[in-house]
Order: sequence, then C-alpha cells, then structure tokens
Amino acid sequence: MELIGVLSPMSILLCFLGVLIGIIFGSIPGMTATMAIAIFLPITYALDMIDSIGLLIGLYVGGISGGLVPAILLNIPGTPSSLCTTFDGYPMTQNGQGEKALKVGITASLIGGLLSLTILYFFAPLLASVAIDFSSVEKFLIIIFALTIIASISKGSLLVGIFSGILGVFVSLIGTFADNNEMRLIPPGLEEQLVYGFSLLPVLIGLFAIGQMLIEAEEGMKPATHQNIDLNKGEKSRFKFRVFKNQMVNLFRSSVLGTFIGILPGVGGSAASITAYSQAKSFSKKPSNFGKGEPEGLIASESANNGLTGGALIPLLSLGIPGDSTTAILIGAFLLQGIEVGPLFIPTNPDLWSGIVYALIIANIVMFAMMFFSIRYFAKIVYIPKYIIFPIIIVMCTVGSYAINNGVMFDVWTLLLFGLAGYIFMKIGIQIPPFLIGFILGAQCEKYFIDSLKGNGGDLTVFFTNGPVALVLWILIIGAFVYAILDNRSAKRNDARDAS
Amino acid sequence: MKKIVITTFILVTALLLSACGSESNASQDDGNNVDLSRVRVVIGSSSTGGDTYQNAEAVSRYLEDEMGTNMKVDAIGAVKAFDELSSAKDDGSTVMFFHDMAYLGVEYGAFKEENKLENWTIGPVVAINPGNGFLTSGEAPYDTLAESAEWLNENPEETITVAIQAGGVSEVIFDGYYLWAKEEFGTGVSDRINVYVTGSQEDKNQALWDGNADIIHGSIGANAEYTKDEVEDKIKMKFLGLTASERVEGYDIPTMAEQGIMVNGKEFTFDKEFYFLMPKNVDKEFADKLDQAVQEVVGMEKYQEDLQKNSYITNYIPASESTEYLLEKRKEVNKIIEKAPDLDEIAQ
Repeated sequence: MELIGVLSPMSILLCFLGVLIGIIFGSIPGMTATMAIAIFLPITYALDMIDSIGLLIGLYVGGISGGLVPAILLNIPGTPSSLCTTFDGYPMTQNGQGEKALKVGITASLIGGLLSLTILYFFAPLLASVAIDFSSVEKFLIIIFALTIIASISKGSLLVGIFSGILGVFVSLIGTFADNNEMRLIPPGLEEQLVYGFSLLPVLIGLFAIGQMLIEAEEGMKPATHQNIDLNKGEKSRFKFRVFKNQMVNLFRSSVLGTFIGILPGVGGSAASITAYSQAKSFSKKPSNFGKGEPEGLIASESANNGLTGGALIPLLSLGIPGDSTTAILIGAFLLQGIEVGPLFIPTNPDLWSGIVYALIIANIVMFAMMFFSIRYFAKIVYIPKYIIFPIIIVMCTVGSYAINNGVMFDVWTLLLFGLAGYIFMKIGIQIPPFLIGFILGAQCEKYFIDSLKGNGGDLTVFFTNGPVALVLWILIIGAFVYAILDNRSAKRNDARDAS
Repeated sequence: MKKIVITTFILVTALLLSACGSESNASQDDGNNVDLSRVRVVIGSSSTGGDTYQNAEAVSRYLEDEMGTNMKVDAIGAVKAFDELSSAKDDGSTVMFFHDMAYLGVEYGAFKEENKLENWTIGPVVAINPGNGFLTSGEAPYDTLAESAEWLNENPEETITVAIQAGGVSEVIFDGYYLWAKEEFGTGVSDRINVYVTGSQEDKNQALWDGNADIIHGSIGANAEYTKDEVEDKIKMKFLGLTASERVEGYDIPTMAEQGIMVNGKEFTFDKEFYFLMPKNVDKEFADKLDQAVQEVVGMEKYQEDLQKNSYITNYIPASESTEYLLEKRKEVNKIIEKAPDLDEIAQ
C-alpha cells in the first residue's frame, strides 16, 4: 500500500499524537494550533521530515478542531476562528443540545477538512496561481465583505451593532504603524506594552469569558449545576446524521469558502468562518433562527474553519507563501530540514507531497474519531457546578493569555481589562460579537487599504477600477448590506408582532 | 480514560526523549558548562521561517551540548526581545540573538535610543547570511542593479519602485543603491526611484507580483526557488545583485561591488551578520563560556553543513573583538544614513 510506503508507522503514530495534543491545545482558551506547532517545532529537527510532517499536520488539524469544544459548551471561542461557532453552538447547549452541537460541529469539521484536502490535492498549483492575482485591492474588499456580517448579526439595533464593530476596528489600530514605525493611539505611559497593540486572544477571551463571569457573579452563584441543562432533553437533542440532509449546499459552500479564503495569504481563518456564517444566514430559509441555536450556522462556521486547513497549505506548497499564521510556522519546519518551500516544491518532492496529503487524511479521520466518540465525556462539563468550573476557566484563561506571547504579563492585564470592558459593554448595550469582528479584521482592513493606495499613487478609484473581481466583490458587499438592513427590519417587525 | 491518559503521557515522554537523544553526540568536555538549567534565547524576529530563527535555532542546538544546558529560542520580535533583555537577570539565563538590524533600527529611529549597542554586552558574531540582495520580475528589461539605473537614465519617462522594510537591513542596502544612482547619474535618475515600504518577505513578493514594486529586497534562502527555469513566468524572479562582499557558491549572482556600485568612494558591500547580545552587566564567566562554546561550535563540520543547507556561512568573531568590529561597522553605515533620502519623501 502506497500510504505505508510514504508514511512510516512512526509518522502515523506521531500524527495520532499530534491530533490529540492539538485538540487539547485548541480546547483550552488562549492556546491555539499556532502555539502547539511553535512549541513542537524545535523537536522536529531530530525527526525525519516525514515524521515531522505527521506530527505537525496532526497538531494543525487537532488545534483548529479543538476550538469548538469551549465555544459550544462554555461560549468561549477556543481559537479566533471558532468565534462564529459560539453564535449557535452555545445556544444549542443552553437548549439541552450540547452533545448534538458538538457532534454536528465535529462532523462539519471533518467534511470541511476532507473537502479542502480534495481541493488541495487536485487544484493546488492552479489555485495558487489564481491567489496571486488577488492584489491588496481584492483582499481589502474581501475583508470589507467579511465585515458586512456585523450588520447581519447586530441584535436589536443595527446602528449600535455597526458602532460596536467600528469601535473594534478602532481598538485594533492601537500600536505601531508598520510603514513608518510611528506609534499611535497609545495612552501615555503604555508605549512599551502597547507597541504591537493588544493581543487578539486575551481580548477575545476577556470579552467572552471574564465578562460573562462578572455578569454571572453579579447575579450570584448558587451551588447549582453550571448551566442547569439536561444534555438529553428529548428526541430533538439526539445527534443524527440526518441533520446534514438539507445542509449539503451549506456544507459545500462553507467548506469551499473556507478553502478559498485560506488560499489568500494574509486574510486568515477568522475571515473564513465569518464569511461562511454570513453566507449561510443570507441563503438560509430560516435566517431568524440564526443566533438562537440553529445547526446551519454551526455547520457553516466549523466546515469553513477546517476548510481553511487545506486552503492555507495551497499557497504554502505551491508558492512558498504561508496562507495563515500557523502555516507560516510550518515553513520553519521545512527550512530546519533544509527543504526549500516554493513554486517547485510539489514536482521536486513528490514523496513529501504525498506524505502531507496522507497525513491530512489521517489527521482529519483521527480527529473525527477521537472527538466524536469521546464527546459525551466533554459534554458533561456543563454539569460541573459554576463555583468549580469558573475558577478553573479563569486559571486556564490566565495561563493561556500569559503563554500566548511567551510569557508577557501585560497580556494577563489585557485579559482582565477586556473582561471588565465586556461586563460594561453588556451593561450599556455595546454588542460584543460585532466589536470582536471589527477588532479581528480591523488591522488587516487598514493594511490592505494602505497597500492598495501605495501601489496606485493614492488613487481611491482603484477600488472600483481594478478589474472584474473587484466589481463582483462590490456587488456582494452591497448585496450583503442591503440584505442585512432588510433582515433587521423584518426581525424588528416580528419582535413587535410577538410583543403585541 | 485512565488508559488513554497514561498512553498519551508515555507517548509524549517517548517523543521528547527521542528528540533529545538523537542529537546526543555532545562534546564530553565540560569546560564550557554553565551553572544554568535553561538559557532563553530571544530573537529580534517574530517569524520562525526567517534567517534569524534558523541561525538562532542551529547555533543554540549545538551550544546546548557544548554548554551543558537547555536552550530555548523564542521568536518574540525585536522590541519585545530588547525589553526582555533589559529586564533580564545578569546570570545569562536570557540572551538575545539578532543581526545588524539591532543597531540599524536605532539609527533609523525604529527602535528606542536606549537599545543602542553601548547599552549591552556584545557577544560573539556567529554567522553571515551572504544571500541578501535585490530581485526583480523575470521579464524586467535589466539584469543587474547597475543596469536598472542605466535603464532609468535611458528612459526618462520611467520610474522604479523598490519594496523594502523601514529601519532594517533592506533600507541600508536601498540607501546604498539610491546614493550610488544619484552620484552616478544625478537627481534626474535618483528622483525617479521610489520606495514601497512593507513588512514581511511575502508582502514584498506580492508587491512584485501585483506590480506595486519593480524591485524587491530578498535573499537566496527565501527567493532562489522563484528564479529557477521551471517556474511559470507570472511569478518568476531574477536576482539583480547581492550585497555580500563575495559571491555565494553555487549561484551565478554578481555582488553589488562587482557591478561597480560605490558609496562614499568605496565599493558598497553589506554582510548581514548574526550575533549575541547580553545584559550590560552579564556574569563575565557566563559570557566567556558562551564565547568559547560558540568558537567550538563554529568549528564543527556538522554545524557548518547545517548552515550550508540554507546558504549561510559561519563567521566567528570573538566577543573580545566583536564590540569594536560592530561599532566600526555602525560608523560606516552612519555615513550612508546621513546622506540617505527620507523615506517619507520618496515613498509611494
């Protein structure tokens, strides 16, 4: 069998191990696939290239997938790309469908991962060639397109949602402007700490986890179960593969979107799941159910962020350009072994290329098997009393925040600061998901905007005249925005009708 | 569940042990052993795919055995690395590994004045990346940097935009090219040389492919793959020249000096050198042992072969000479910076 010829038993074993460790990293708020790979990178020097690949691909797939566990069970995105998973995953848990939500998410992750792998295998060089035609103009427009989700997920007031998103963009711009190394928007006295701005993960976890805990603490924590949830509440809460029966288009669209956005260097996994979620809502027959525990939204988010795994490898292996921060570290593994990753990588390293593809297949299947059959134990987290689980979560969040940049204490203060901000936001009505989406995409939005202007002598018309792709993106942006406004009006009408 | 936990623990332990064990051809001489269980090597780059990480990782891997300690390389970026070093203990438990940008960043204003070389103990110089230079697209009408300026001179309607990173090695190399073009052909040519300021190597490559830049800074390690014959025309690149003082073996790329590029009456060369920085009052015994250990390591054939994989070469300058050497290098560079154009004025 060719698989055994290419992958050694050791590499398969390391792939298993990588998936397991990756899932653990992804499940802990603050720990990411990127961090797992960075930690294990020096070890790979002592291993053969093919064994290293088994381990690293396992960590990559496991790390991306593990993020759904805290997102669904605790409303804390384990990784930035599982932010949209919280939108419907956590409400499902609150509705007594936690185990079902986890299994839906895991199955969607498997399908997203395998679909993107198929695309990687058959179309890598072709798609990589298309990807470099996406200049900073098109990348800027894709980010704007992803930002339109702010309008569609704004609950209650569209204006407040947009304000929250813009506030997030504003906070993301704090730090140093790379083009001239000038600091900006930094409060006096914090120049050293904020030279690179706020780190994403402490902000994310602070707003979601700490903010929510402060709200709960205010209400008082009686020694009841954590969520007071019955995990097997009736027939509806049982997972059946039938849930995917009418979701094939959603699955396919989201996986392909995830893969495609993964292909575009620098756009990132968060944009992939955000765009897929937004599209799933736009095309759904029941858009008003989104955000209330709709499996369709969960499927979109999870298939897209695993679709990213194959997508981000396409420019890496076909052009030598990493598609995201995690694959950027994978380059290090190749270089440590003296292997150049570039446009000739696939034709000059056929065995290694096959090894990567096989490792991805194995990692996705192992991830599915490990998570699907052990999930009933994970799901029981919701039975742990709040006064026990909350301190554990705080410790995990603190450790994760401290570790994310190799031990920076300011990241812990960031966690607490944004925890407090999250509490205040909830009190005064600023919407946290739009704020976070603005924060995640803000810096990229600025970078591609500036790059577009730099490359075109400051001419703003370039955003409209750069070719057919830019025009198509404008149509999508306007369509998404108009849809969001209409959807918001219809939701308001429905709310008024329900109230009367 | 218990079985899974135990099996996982055994597997992780086995993996870590195998990783440690396979490189255990250590020197048995414990003369350079330090009294530290762990040395953290912070680097001035946040990338694990760049030349700083590769050089730091390689030398640390060999130094571990030589110094009888564990070394961990942390890619935390220059500003944070300097901060870590300024608050580090004097026992050597945290050291920094970086290249010429350590002082170039201060001179160009990208790093704070308090990070200047005088405020650290400079350790030994370890290696060189001789592959730094400029590239253009495969279809460009010129084949060398000198030809690019001549082409501008012959085509008064044309401009050339060069993609570089502000405050780094690429800026000083650009300055060298710009000043030479100005001196050789006058402002009629140099005024038509613009810069496209950007960050990572990927951004520079993309700037070339987007048509936002005509020439980009790059290196053999990062860009040689794009120059091969089999690469499709759309992404094909060619080297216009290297900045090193000598040609790199195995590559037919002329140096800038060979092309007649001169600045301040001297051939323009710039070797990108990697070295250790330590806290100002670092324990002298530790510093001496690090210096001795580096000397041993750079003499090892296996280490040299490891560097050669990515076209890097060893270049040991002992700690006793490195301070004077780097200060002199900085002085020469300052003569260029004084005459260099303000990026804000020539940026796109």
